[in-house]
Amino acid sequence: MTDAKPTLWQRYLSANPVTISFLAILLGFVVGALVIIFSSADVMHAWTQIFNSPGGIFHALKVSLDNVGAAYRAMFTGSVVDPTIFWHALTTGQGWNAALTPLSETLTYAAPLAIISIGVAISFETGLFNIGANGQAILGGIAGTAFGSMINLPMYIHLPLTLLCGVAAGAFFGLIPGVLKALTGAHEVIVTLMLNYVVAFFLLYSLLSTPLQLPGQANDLSRVILPSAQLPTFFSTATTLRVNWGILIAIAVVAFGWWFLNRSTMGFDFRVTGANPNAARASGINPKKVIIYVFLISGGLAGLAGVVQVDGTTHALDGGFLIGSAGIGFTAITVSLLGRNKPINVFWGAILFSALGVGGRIMQAETGIPLDLATIIQSAVVLFVATPVLVQEIFRLREGNLHTIQLNTKGWGT
Amino acid sequence: MTTVTTPTENVRRDTPVGRTRVIGGIMIAMAIFILWIFAFGASAKATSIITFNPLNTSGGAPWSLGNLTLPSRISTLILGLIALGAGLETMIRIPARRVMARFGFVSVLFLLGLFVWTVRSGGPSPTNFMDVTDVLVNASGITMVLIYGSMAGIMCERAGVVNIAIEGQFLGGAFVGAIVASSTNSFVLATVAGAVVGALLGWVLAFFAIRYRSDQVIVGVVLVTMIGSLTNFLNLTFLTPYQQYNTGVTPSSIPIPLLDKIPVVGPLLFNQNMFFYLMYLLVGAMSFGLFKTKWGLRVRAVGEHPQAAASVGIRVKGVRYFNTILGGAIGGVGGVAFIALHGQFNPGFTSGLGYIALAALIFGRWRPSGAVVASIIFGLTSMLASGLQSFNVPVSSEILGMFPYIITIAVVSGLIGRVRAPAADGIPYKQD
Repeated sequence: MTDAKPTLWQRYLSANPVTISFLAILLGFVVGALVIIFSSADVMHAWTQIFNSPGGIFHALKVSLDNVGAAYRAMFTGSVVDPTIFWHALTTGQGWNAALTPLSETLTYAAPLAIISIGVAISFETGLFNIGANGQAILGGIAGTAFGSMINLPMYIHLPLTLLCGVAAGAFFGLIPGVLKALTGAHEVIVTLMLNYVVAFFLLYSLLSTPLQLPGQANDLSRVILPSAQLPTFFSTATTLRVNWGILIAIAVVAFGWWFLNRSTMGFDFRVTGANPNAARASGINPKKVIIYVFLISGGLAGLAGVVQVDGTTHALDGGFLIGSAGIGFTAITVSLLGRNKPINVFWGAILFSALGVGGRIMQAETGIPLDLATIIQSAVVLFVATPVLVQEIFRLREGNLHTIQLNTKGWGT
Repeated sequence: MTTVTTPTENVRRDTPVGRTRVIGGIMIAMAIFILWIFAFGASAKATSIITFNPLNTSGGAPWSLGNLTLPSRISTLILGLIALGAGLETMIRIPARRVMARFGFVSVLFLLGLFVWTVRSGGPSPTNFMDVTDVLVNASGITMVLIYGSMAGIMCERAGVVNIAIEGQFLGGAFVGAIVASSTNSFVLATVAGAVVGALLGWVLAFFAIRYRSDQVIVGVVLVTMIGSLTNFLNLTFLTPYQQYNTGVTPSSIPIPLLDKIPVVGPLLFNQNMFFYLMYLLVGAMSFGLFKTKWGLRVRAVGEHPQAAASVGIRVKGVRYFNTILGGAIGGVGGVAFIALHGQFNPGFTSGLGYIALAALIFGRWRPSGAVVASIIFGLTSMLASGLQSFNVPVSSEILGMFPYIITIAVVSGLIGRVRAPAADGIPYKQD
């Protein structure tokens, strides 16, 4: 610690949370680039030829950069904006639909991701790992679809009740690990992971052997949610812009998360428990009650995310609902770690990782590089975010207030 | 091992009284289910045939035992009454020890009752006999993989590093194992390759957990997802276009002369592939090594109280690195063993087996012998899920598929009673 006050630039270069997150994302993309390079036959061939011609090494570098560049360009144009199409729309006034579709898709997928990530962040902030958000979201989606497709009501009551069904189902399913942890001490990580597999089977069961299955359908497809229960889109359904009220719900949930963690009594109890369970117990906070409420709230938000996902986009379930490359629940873990459990940061993180997922699909279509790359990048980002000291060492940052970034670490028993 | 003495109770209980009563209640419920559904649900004249010869006798058949024809109702009635007796005994006497052994016994009775009921003449099964040997051999494969997984976990956790990444080590080992086995046709080389990959993954876990003191649960879960998506990725970019590297070769069985002729036991234990024999060695070596050698004492000291261990000159971080890497290697071999069972590599095909192995080691109280027993129970339930479908049990296959996971939850929820992890398990060691 020097006496001189650090300049602004030095502060940027110190290991502060924002710099660490930014550099972690950068490192994540570097890892992704390495995976592309090592898995592409063209690139590897170019590297084996570097001694055969004078400019071999430059050629190999160029091929590597071309491949990586094509992948990341497709990711960007697929999830944010394609400059040429955008310029075309701007100058001619035509084709706004195509120009805005990437952004609309990103926001569409960001909505459930932000909601579920807030739920996960609340559990993390309390020192509990809700790894089962995926299952809770799927169950919420099933409940919401069942209510939205099989019951006829006017919209102003049908839509809220459909959403509420999702919340209730998710909260109920979150209650299981919560109660088990509070009463028997079962480690929530294993219980929630196992429940994810249980829900995956339950999804197939409800799509194949219950009235939820689309009548006359032999495959794993559900009935379609009635228009009275669907989340309205902002643009006419004639366009491909699917962005819907879900993003408004997400913003409301982010506001709720911020208020809950920073301003409410219960949120304070949660954070105290997360920071120091012994101090919490000593100050009269009932740890069992906290555990159960955390999972109730976290599960409820996950359920809401599930129902927003199905209600805002596809309006029907299929066997692959929310499972995807790694599942929305895992992405939510990465998002809340990236946002260090601060709801506002989590929201930006959700938009970023939603863009990664949406762009990943376009990348897969355009370059043939599998979508799983997006998950690899996300996992790498989280590894680096969870290990700020490593990032600090890689970039030789000044000592900062790292203890505010390092996550609480606990043993098995707690 | 001191006995806790209180005025009211001078026995050391494995399971608290209340929990013992609950377990007893569950046992009685199972017994009533056997009596109600299996015994009185079968017609009085129905018979069930039990056979002992394995269906696949390519590796040499054991000495024949002949078939056993049982009257379905009488035999399930007997099974149910024994189960009822065991349940009542647990409920009333509240034994201090071996409550779980009694529970396991009743579960086996339940399983037997189920099989007798389902294969009875006029029952739902398309075949009207049950092959005990075949059922056990089918369950043995998953059990073996689970044992590898739980050994991988014990190796790390005894030294104080939570290895939640067993699933990732399985997938990594299986991926490389499939490539090496397909291209060289040698499972010895595949095992070596799987062990190297597993060790590398173990090193990554150790690197983050020991050097940077990151949260081990987060690192573990993230590693599983990363390896899962990386193997998906490489499967699409590499194995799909070059299918000659994923041909689905499986190792041949190696019968042990004479021992393999023993009915039931022979085909189950002594006529299996090399991974079974390697597993026997591993379990033996680990039980002996951890509890009877100087090395094991040091490892356990590091896992229980690293500061104390350091004060007598044990290199805590060194021991943790070594054990986590070794545990990762065992997990990698488990992945190759899964390939030996399954043939081809498919993305995500271990479907949570690594986490079930983790539950098995908790169930087994962080002891190799306990983990083996737990793995056998999990192996049998997993087999139930897939095996019962071939017997046309009138339960949807999706519901049956939930079985192993629900059992796992029940187990970690402390149906097993009090378990105690190594005291420093999951807590980073800070030298100061």
